[in-house]
Amino acid sequence: MVRFTESTITFPYTRSLGPVVGAFMTALTEKRILGIRNGEQVICPPMEWDPSTGAELPRDLVEVGPAGTVDSWTWVPEPTEQHPLDRPFAFAFVRLDGASTPLLHAVDASSPDAMSDGMRVAPRWKGQRIGHLTDIACFVPGEEPQVDGDDLGPAAEPVQMMDYLARITYRNPVPPSSDLVVDASRQHRLVGFRCPGCGKTYVGGRGVCPIDSVEFGEEHLVELPHTGTITNHVVITPVQYPGQTETEPFARVFVLLDGSDAVLGYQPVIELPVEDVAVGVRVSAVWASPGEESDEGGGMGGAFGSLIGWMPNGEPPVDDPDLVNRIF
Amino acid sequence: MAPSTDIAVVGWATTPLVRRTDLSETQLLLRAITSALEPLGLTRSDVDFTCLGSCDYITGQAFSFVGNLDAIGAWPPKRDSHVEMDGAWALYEAWLRLQEGDIEIAVVTGSGRSSTGNPALIYPMEMDPYYLAPIGADPVTFAALQARAVIAAGIADERTMAEVAVRSRGEGDVDELLRGEYVREPLRRHDLPPITDGAAAMVLATGDRARQLVERPAYITGFDHRTECHNPAFRRLDDSPSTRIAAEAAGLGDAPVEVAELQAAFTHEELLLRSVLGLGDDVAVNPSGGALKANPIMASGLCRIGHAADHVFAGGTRALAHSTSGPCLQQNLICILEGRS
Ligand SMILES: [Zn+2]
Repeated sequence: MVRFTESTITFPYTRSLGPVVGAFMTALTEKRILGIRNGEQVICPPMEWDPSTGAELPRDLVEVGPAGTVDSWTWVPEPTEQHPLDRPFAFAFVRLDGASTPLLHAVDASSPDAMSDGMRVAPRWKGQRIGHLTDIACFVPGEEPQVDGDDLGPAAEPVQMMDYLARITYRNPVPPSSDLVVDASRQHRLVGFRCPGCGKTYVGGRGVCPIDSVEFGEEHLVELPHTGTITNHVVITPVQYPGQTETEPFARVFVLLDGSDAVLGYQPVIELPVEDVAVGVRVSAVWASPGEESDEGGGMGGAFGSLIGWMPNGEPPVDDPDLVNRIF
Repeated sequence: MAPSTDIAVVGWATTPLVRRTDLSETQLLLRAITSALEPLGLTRSDVDFTCLGSCDYITGQAFSFVGNLDAIGAWPPKRDSHVEMDGAWALYEAWLRLQEGDIEIAVVTGSGRSSTGNPALIYPMEMDPYYLAPIGADPVTFAALQARAVIAAGIADERTMAEVAVRSRGEGDVDELLRGEYVREPLRRHDLPPITDGAAAMVLATGDRARQLVERPAYITGFDHRTECHNPAFRRLDDSPSTRIAAEAAGLGDAPVEVAELQAAFTHEELLLRSVLGLGDDVAVNPSGGALKANPIMASGLCRIGHAADHVFAGGTRALAHSTSGPCLQQNLICILEGRS
């Protein structure tokens, strides 16, 4: 049975809005909706460019709405976490009074029977508005705009940026080759796969020879030594992006294992200060005590299973100018 | 705009197209490429150029296409390219590359594991980041709004849409389907595509090499793609001008086609595309079952071209293949394939 792992990735974007979308978002905080003139037409939501020709539009913003007419709609019986409402609602093309194009937004109606083309709707504003499309919580049937709770007023400054948090949960199969390598590491063994085509040995759980496009199985497993030589290295000064746990500069090294052509990439070092990391330093594998194991598969390098890094073993350094080229 | 060099599809293959696979995308590609090359007596070392179509957003891994290179045998170094598009667009790039005339064999792929994430949550994030993504505007909502426009224009109705579903899947009863609940009015479950994992690989060859490899190459005689505005609110949804322009540029009107493989993931899209392309009842539309039967994301369009090529391999004269990308048929690609006696 293939094992699956679930992971959630978040991308916290901060987007610049520019002169037209920024003006639209700023106006939302004032409970006003803006369109932009495009010849005889008024485009809402406003764009910097003519959607048909791409020609830059004069910055002629005009107020539209606040009420509008439903051009078309569809009923959402089961909203997702991304939708503006947590109960069944309609997504509708709302053509605001004075606009030539529709704005897609939610209409809070009791049932699909309460929806029809041509019906009149008005915005329900959030009390706290930040310059975001969801400052309009949704539209509601009728002519009269509403406000949810206390009206905290417009933004103090023009809105120029917008936060958008993209978050996706993925469920991916773990290649059996990766599990084999991690399981071996938990037994303090280093194993790799030897390709029957080119004869190269691959470590870190890579399940395929990229030269011959051969998939590896248990029959290709080989035991590897626990000592090697640093062939190349990088010192990383951590930037404190979300999820970065390192605070001080740290090294990642490439280790060529003795008596083999296998190179382990991006390995942590232990008891080797950053200034002493060098090509040719002899190192030995360091294994975790129980409870310190990593769940990482080693796909992008790094430690995996019970292997936590590499430590100088006191042997004299190797002086070989070709070593530096061995990163694969 | 046919190229001066003959460029033909000479073979293609897919992995099993399934709801959920245990295989990684790289493994899928590896198997699809091997399956496409082997019957032609070719190996990866015979391939002069590869172009892969896939999407990091779906895989959940930045630069996932780099890992996919393990499947092409990229040593000694190969000429390779990637499009963050369906494999049909990878085919377009390979077709352009082969026109330079210095190489003979190209492989293109499309691959995706839709089951990795929840498509209903992933696709809204690809929409306009200011006006659409923040309200979770999802693909089925857009499809429903387009279906309403197509119905209002008299191009489709719920019954003809159900008929498309029954014909494509080769199963179901129209009256029974029409009693089902709406997922997004006017769309019911049968109007929606399945979620499919899989990969496709296609082999292209030029001139004499194509004729040496197969008895009846499927020559690409016309190829074009066009795009429209990204936000469906600014478009007429009962029309597809980009499809019409691409078809004209690809020479659809020059001679009749016997088969049209259309990447219509929703039933009404097939009816709209038929109408825009002017396909009569004498044209067999989606004999493969189309995207309603199997919809391997990023490979679904390439599969359409593969099935159109199959028609030529089997003795057919002329076939049309269509691929699309973006909400409400935003971007459309037309490829015309011909056989020669
Ligand atoms: Zn190999």
